[in-house]
Amino acid sequence: MEAVLANLKEWFQDRKQHLDLFDETKTGKQDNPLYILGDLVWLSWMAVIVSGIVLMLWYIPTTTGAYRSIQHITLDLPFGWLVRGVHKYGGDMLITVITLRIYRMYFAGEYKKPGELSWMILFLSLVLAMVSGVTGYTLEWNQRAFWAAKVILTVPTYYDQIPLVGNLGLGHAIAYIFLGGPALGQGTLTRFYAIHFGISIIAVIIIEMFVYRTRRRRLNLSAFAIVLVLVFLAFVSFMNLADVGDWANNNRTPLPVLSDWYFLALYQVVKYMPPLWAGVAPALLIGYGMLVPFLDRTKETRATERPFFFVIGLLALAYWIGFSALILLNIAVISRDPPIIWGITVVVCLLAFVWEMGYRRRKAQRAAAQAAARAAARPAGAA
Amino acid sequence: MKLERRGVIKTLVAIPVIGAIIALLSPLFRFLKPNDGAWNIFTIKPDLPAGGAQVVGRVSQLAKPWDSFYFTYVQKFVQYDPEGEEASNVPGVAIRLPQKVNFTNTEGFVGFQGETDIVLFSRICPHLGCIFNYVSDYHEVTAGYGGMEPPASEHHALMACPCHFSIYDPTYPGDPGNVISGPAPRGARYFQFEIQGDNIVVTGAEVGAIAKARPNGAQAPRGDA
Repeated sequence: MEAVLANLKEWFQDRKQHLDLFDETKTGKQDNPLYILGDLVWLSWMAVIVSGIVLMLWYIPTTTGAYRSIQHITLDLPFGWLVRGVHKYGGDMLITVITLRIYRMYFAGEYKKPGELSWMILFLSLVLAMVSGVTGYTLEWNQRAFWAAKVILTVPTYYDQIPLVGNLGLGHAIAYIFLGGPALGQGTLTRFYAIHFGISIIAVIIIEMFVYRTRRRRLNLSAFAIVLVLVFLAFVSFMNLADVGDWANNNRTPLPVLSDWYFLALYQVVKYMPPLWAGVAPALLIGYGMLVPFLDRTKETRATERPFFFVIGLLALAYWIGFSALILLNIAVISRDPPIIWGITVVVCLLAFVWEMGYRRRKAQRAAAQAAARAAARPAGAA
Repeated sequence: MKLERRGVIKTLVAIPVIGAIIALLSPLFRFLKPNDGAWNIFTIKPDLPAGGAQVVGRVSQLAKPWDSFYFTYVQKFVQYDPEGEEASNVPGVAIRLPQKVNFTNTEGFVGFQGETDIVLFSRICPHLGCIFNYVSDYHEVTAGYGGMEPPASEHHALMACPCHFSIYDPTYPGDPGNVISGPAPRGARYFQFEIQGDNIVVTGAEVGAIAKARPNGAQAPRGDA
């Protein structure tokens, strides 16, 4: 038992040495633009936090006041559009750069030793960013946000219908705790406000402790690049005034109703699947993401030298883009599509497995041939 | 695993320590979900919404088959905010069917004693809680709600949800309101009602999600009704 604990501690210390939260100086390749993604995570996150604190000066967290206060901030206050735009588009940018960094780490094999901890923290940060996103856009109290919150918090109630486990009331308890009652209302808004604020503030404290102890840099960009990013955010806010939508109405669900862009693919999955599966599938996805460094045991980092995990990554990317396109173009047929999608998934996974097996066999043959050649050469050289 | 004296003593000491920590933390759970008892965290019984008898409409509004009207049934529910309790509108739809049915679903909920051709459904989708619509023309279901083409036997008014495109058939044989397409795990929820003269009186609603947006009286500034 104590030996296991000691091993865990050693593992953790070793990974902590190689932890790349933002500056990516350990992962290297400073001339490659893909390696500024870590810095962009910190920069966009700070833009979101600073603009968020300014928004808090004017935001009214009540079901009657929220919508009007956001209209007031956006339309009446001097530079209110800029603060709200930086908060909204900065949040979108944060999720975009985290996602891009996740795909870069996946396809470049950077989640392998010693990058496991970096990968797991990055993946967790995507989950937290998405929770921040959904709790944040509910604060607008508009139709899109209201129905997204309603749907997302009804999903846990199906956890009470898991076969064999039975009804423990746990799923309903989760929904009740987040809703602040059995239905979406003032209690929900207050709790979402607390969660939205709390996630970032706790993460900032933990990260500042890490930076203080290790003297790692938070931001490894030139002043020009920083200004460029901030000007870009301001420009987007100016060109695309952040929309407020329609005030939430509990008697009418609009048709069509969409979620924020990073939930669209998941939204489409929920249409295809029975609700319990749709509630378990994201949990499995998060589980796969967190455990992938321990599932992929090979040492190869190049994509074509680990075909199975490479294809799974491509498939996930294709689904994410494909499902989002299906829902945006409104071309899916709910009663027709699921067998086709299952068919594609099974065939692609099988082909990936065949490729992996074939690759491993060829590699083993090559190694055997080399060993044989060495064995044949050695006596000749000795003689 | 070897059993050592030190290990046994550590375990014995750990049990009351862990117990004390749980006892100290348990009020925090009640802080999050203040139900009617210390151990009622995992139950919803104390928080079930209640309404009572309310007149929601008239039989004369439903003269011909497939006539319908929307109504709201007001329930009170517990809200974890300083006001403690809030009123909530449960949206519903009343439909006149072309034939009489037993308004009882497969969950065993009896909506009406005896046979009736008037049926009252809660419009809260039993899938994930959006508000579904009564669609009087089934072609609209194909066009706007996920491309489902109803079979010839369903060529009449249907109910369809904008969120995940569950389609419900108010005349489904043996289970009026059952789902015919989409991800919903069960049919539409029922209202329990009586007909007193010309009045349709709702006396209760099947337990399920309720939706709540703004307090009664507060109006949206823009036309989203």
